[in-house]
Amino acid sequence: MDPRMTALFHLLQYSDATFPVGTFSFSNGLETASYEKLVHDASGLEQYARSAARQAAFSDGVAALTAYRACKKGDYKAICDIDARLMLFKMNDEARLMLRRMGKKLAELSALIFSSDILSRWLADIEREVTPGSYPVAQGIVFALSDLSEEDLYVSYQYGVINMILGAALRCVRVSHYDTQDILFRLASETPALYEQAKDMDFEDMNCFVPEMDILASLHEKGSMRMFMS
Amino acid sequence: MFNKDLQLHYSDSPEVDFSSAREMKPYLEEPKAMYVGAPGKRGYLNLGFELDAGGKSILRELDRRAPLIVQQELYFDEKLPGMPCVYILSSGGPNIDGDRYMQNITVGSGAMAWVSTGAATKLAGMKYNYSGMIQNIVLRENAYLEYLPEPIIPHASTRFICDTRMCVDPTATVLYSEIYMGGRKYYGGGELFNFDILSVCSHGERPDGEQLFREKFIIRPDEGHIRDCGVMGKYDIFANVIVMTPADKAEMIYQQTRAYIDPSRQLAAGITNLPNGAGLLFKVLGKEPGPVKAAVREFASNVRMAIKGVPLPEEFPWR
Repeated sequence: MDPRMTALFHLLQYSDATFPVGTFSFSNGLETASYEKLVHDASGLEQYARSAARQAAFSDGVAALTAYRACKKGDYKAICDIDARLMLFKMNDEARLMLRRMGKKLAELSALIFSSDILSRWLADIEREVTPGSYPVAQGIVFALSDLSEEDLYVSYQYGVINMILGAALRCVRVSHYDTQDILFRLASETPALYEQAKDMDFEDMNCFVPEMDILASLHEKGSMRMFMS
Repeated sequence: MFNKDLQLHYSDSPEVDFSSAREMKPYLEEPKAMYVGAPGKRGYLNLGFELDAGGKSILRELDRRAPLIVQQELYFDEKLPGMPCVYILSSGGPNIDGDRYMQNITVGSGAMAWVSTGAATKLAGMKYNYSGMIQNIVLRENAYLEYLPEPIIPHASTRFICDTRMCVDPTATVLYSEIYMGGRKYYGGGELFNFDILSVCSHGERPDGEQLFREKFIIRPDEGHIRDCGVMGKYDIFANVIVMTPADKAEMIYQQTRAYIDPSRQLAAGITNLPNGAGLLFKVLGKEPGPVKAAVREFASNVRMAIKGVPLPEEFPWR
């Protein structure tokens, strides 16, 4: 098989909703948004998914790209540095839990399916709690080791964020599979512009503004709804 | 025309440098009126609170450059009569094109202080440059600071960047609040989210340099997403309140604070734990400033109760 075809195959594998990193356990606040009747149809869902995508675009997305570049250079210290810095930026417990749990899962899974010194070292440091082990950083490492491109990484991360919400929506919002695929198709066209901005950003530039999502996260954290972990 | 060579003779306050802020790069044209850094456009404030020999909290250090003004401390808080209270005023009116401000507030060991502004901070429309402010807030052992300014009102076409660094001892408590209006809601036909950019960053650290958290938001309403569900939705005002406090106090305040969405009052609020055990982050969204200010004040009262054992006094009727 042509190396690019192999890489494309890996891209599809890592981005698949069934890739077992626990995506299905989280709704990114959608469960509460649905309960509070803020999101009750396809139009509201599209807005909510866009807000989540933009939130990730200039924070997690930047961390993933930074980790990818560090891994390509073999700069392990820079990987741990962006991992720690990303956690400074995560303002609620459930978001921190989500990123750490999914990051560790991805590191464990990847260490099983291919061998890499840098990945083994990083997984050991996660287990020793030397580094947080966030999901964007894990994805940056795995994509760099799989000969995928920065664009592949960014698209996969953004796809994962949007698809997580749309997958959750099928369980808690009155929308159909047709609605969610329609939204996914449309939001795809907005990703290149986000990447153009994010690709030159560093830690100092990372930003997000989603106050309504922050309040929903707080309601979920303090509430008793637990179909999803966030 | 002002002679820029004279700049150093007049402006002996520290430079307010945002040259690394990528988001402000489109706004670097020299204003056609007074240049960036001109006297009266580079405000500086250095407030140092500490205990005097008798154990009373006083404003020991006060250094200022126009247009920022602080007069002497007052002791008007009925619930904490020993707490020095200070209003920050600006003789220049609104922040205008090319203004640069620096505000440093230090609260010494065991001391307490209350700081606010005399009125809302207006950010005027800008054509060439931007207005920027750097704040350094330092709290030593067992110090206590309430920073509760009036709202910030961004006018159409304004550009504003603010960087706030809070260096707080693990035994101290700071309550730092910001209330941002969407604009001059009732001016003319109404002005909401017509500004060019707001870039606001707040970050906390320990005296040994350990970084605890960093929150940065950049709002560019012309990108067209400000009203999306998850961003501002139907709300026009948001408040951000950071409380850095010891873990046991944070837990007590967290348990006492309710998260809610109240359609009847058009108000929503949430609380969360900052990373690394730094404290709490309380957010409020609302349609009108009164209820948002009241929600922030109620929360601040709970914080004061947890730390000092007394609530905030009733707000002055003219505020």
